[in-house]
Amino acid sequence: MYDETAAVIENRDLTGGHFLLSLDAPRQAPAVRPGQFAMVRILGRSDVLLRRPMSIFDVTSKEERGGGPGKVQTLDVLRLLYKVVGRGTSLMAELKPGDKVGLLAPLGHGFFEEEYLPRAHAADEILHVAGGIGIAALLLPAKHLAEAGFKQRLFFGARTKGDLVGLEEFKPLMRGSLFATENGSFGYRGFVTRPLEDYFSAHTNKKFLLMVCGPWAMLRATVELAKRFRHPCLVSMENRMGCGLGVCLGCSIRVEGTGHEAYQRVCTEGPVFWADKIVWETEKRLGIRD
Amino acid sequence: MARKAKAKRREHHNGDASTVARDGVSAAAPVHAEEFTPQIETEIAGVRFQNPVWTASGTFGYGKEFAHLVDLNQLGAICVKGISPEPMEGNPPPRIYETDSGMLNAIGLQNVGARRFLSEKLPFLRTLQARTVVNVFAYSTEDYVRCIEILNEGEGIAAYELNISCPNTRCGGIVYGSDPRLTEEVVAASKKAARHPLFVKLSPNVTDITLFARVAEGAGADALSLVNTFVGMAIDVETRTPRISNVTAGLSGPAIKPVALRMVYQAARAVKIPVIGIGGIASTEDALEFLIAGARAVEVGTANFYDPRTATRIVEGLNDYCRRKRLHLGDLVGSLRIPEG
Repeated sequence: MYDETAAVIENRDLTGGHFLLSLDAPRQAPAVRPGQFAMVRILGRSDVLLRRPMSIFDVTSKEERGGGPGKVQTLDVLRLLYKVVGRGTSLMAELKPGDKVGLLAPLGHGFFEEEYLPRAHAADEILHVAGGIGIAALLLPAKHLAEAGFKQRLFFGARTKGDLVGLEEFKPLMRGSLFATENGSFGYRGFVTRPLEDYFSAHTNKKFLLMVCGPWAMLRATVELAKRFRHPCLVSMENRMGCGLGVCLGCSIRVEGTGHEAYQRVCTEGPVFWADKIVWETEKRLGIRD
Repeated sequence: MARKAKAKRREHHNGDASTVARDGVSAAAPVHAEEFTPQIETEIAGVRFQNPVWTASGTFGYGKEFAHLVDLNQLGAICVKGISPEPMEGNPPPRIYETDSGMLNAIGLQNVGARRFLSEKLPFLRTLQARTVVNVFAYSTEDYVRCIEILNEGEGIAAYELNISCPNTRCGGIVYGSDPRLTEEVVAASKKAARHPLFVKLSPNVTDITLFARVAEGAGADALSLVNTFVGMAIDVETRTPRISNVTAGLSGPAIKPVALRMVYQAARAVKIPVIGIGGIASTEDALEFLIAGARAVEVGTANFYDPRTATRIVEGLNDYCRRKRLHLGDLVGSLRIPEG
C-alpha cells in the first residue's frame, strides 16, 4: 500500500451518473491484486474529510498499443469505475485531467489465488454476479481468471439500462452474459437472482463458483440462492470507511467467531469474504447506497 | 534539505494554511533567521518527549500499522488504542459516519486486551524514539485498577492516559468523566496503582471543564489531556433510523476545534499540572493555537485517517515557525496575549 498524490489522466462521463476515472499511479498500479480497492481523497478541503473507498476496476498502461505479442507493458494507470451517490463522489465527478487527488492504494486482501483457485478448478464455470456498480469489483478477478483459462459467465442486474456499465471490458472475457433491469429497459425485467436461479435449475449437474458484488439486499439474495443450490460463493463487501488501512475499526462486519474474532475489517481482512463466513442476520443496515 | 522541501510542497498541496501564511511573510524575516535552532523538546511529569506532537488514541492503532507510511521516529509520542483488562469485540456496525468537517464514531473500544497488548504490540513500540503512552479504560473502578496492574508488568511504557469517558456499569452507567465524584474515585485509585505517570483524558461533555480539571488534579493526575469526543448523532431520513448502530456516537475532526481549544485554554488556566491539547488538529496552525492557549503538547487524531503524515508535517511546521519567530517551545506554551482594554 502506498499513499501518493495522483494526477487525473481522464474522468470519463459514462451513462447514468457513472464515471471512469483514470489516474497516473506508476507506483501503485503494478502492485494491485484482483479484488483490491483504493481510497480516494479530494484534496484541499476540510469539509468532506474522509477518503472514499473505490473498487479498483482496472490497471492499464499509458502506452495504448502494446506493440506486438511478448512486449511487456509497464502498468502505471489505475482506473476506478464509480457512480455519483453522495458528497464525495459528487466532488470526484468534477475532477478534470491534470487535477490531483490523494490516492491510498492498493488496499485489502483481494481475491487471493490460494483461496479461490482450488474451488475454481473444481467448478465447471465461474459465475460473476454483479448488482449495479458492484461490477467495478469484478473485472480484475475476471481478467485474472480468463488468463488462467477458466470459463466464466456474467449475470448483471441494475435499476436501468444506463446502469449496466463496464460491459466493454467485461464481455470479451465471458462465455455469455445475462442482464436484468428493474424497469425492464434491458434484458430480464426484475432482479438478477431470477435468471440466476433459472440457470442453476437448468444445470443441476454442474458446479459453479460465484463471485458476487452489489448492494446489500442483492448480496443477501444471491448468497441465499447459492447456498440453496450448494455453490461456493465469494462476496466483495463494502462499508463506510474511516482510514481504509485497518486502524480505526470503523468498517468491521460481524463474522463467524467469538470475542475478538467476532469482527473483521472490510478494508483489511476483506473486502472479499467467503459468503458463509459472514453473519448475515446481524447486518441489517449495512450498505451505503441502499 | 530536500526532504524538508518536499514536505513543504506536500503540506501546501493538502491545503495547509500555515505554509501559505509562512510564504507570505518570509520576505520580512530577519537576516539571521536560519541561525536560530529552536528547542521543541518537552517534559511532562518527568517524562521527556522529543517534541510535543503526538498521535491520539484510537486513530493510530498500535503504531506499527502506519510504519510504512509514516516515519514513526519523528513523532513525540504514540497514544495507543484504548486498552481494557480483557479483549473487547466492539459495537455492531454501522460504527462510523462522516459529518461536515468531522466524523461520528462508536467503534465500541474494540481492542486486544491488556495481556495481548503487552505480548503482541508493545515490543515493536519499544523500538521507537517516539514514546509510548498507553490509553486505558474500563467499566468499573476495580477494572481500571486491574488493567493498570497488568500493564505495569510491561517495559517501555512512558505513561498511562486514563480514558474516563466510559460509563460506570456499577453505578447505573453514569459516565465517569461527567461526574466529579466518580472522576475523583477513578483517578485516585488509578494513580495509586500506576507504575508510570498518569495523564487523565477529560470528557468535553460537561458543563464546566475547569471543575473536572481541578478534580482530576486534586485526585493525583500528573497531567491532563483534553478533549475526548463530543456526543453526537445522525439520522438516515429515508429509513428514519440512526446512522450509527449505537444511536449516539463521538464527534471529532475540524468541526470541534473551536470548542476543544476553548476548553484547553480554560483548563490550562485552572490547574498547575501540564495540559495536552486534542481536538480537530490537522495543521501546524491548529497545533500552534493549542500550544499558545496553554497546551504543552498536542495530539493529532482524526486527521490520521485521511492524511497519515499530518503529525510529522506538524513537527516540521512547528520547527519552521519557531525558527522564524526565534522562539523555543517553552516560550510558546501559554503565550496567548490578551490586549488591554
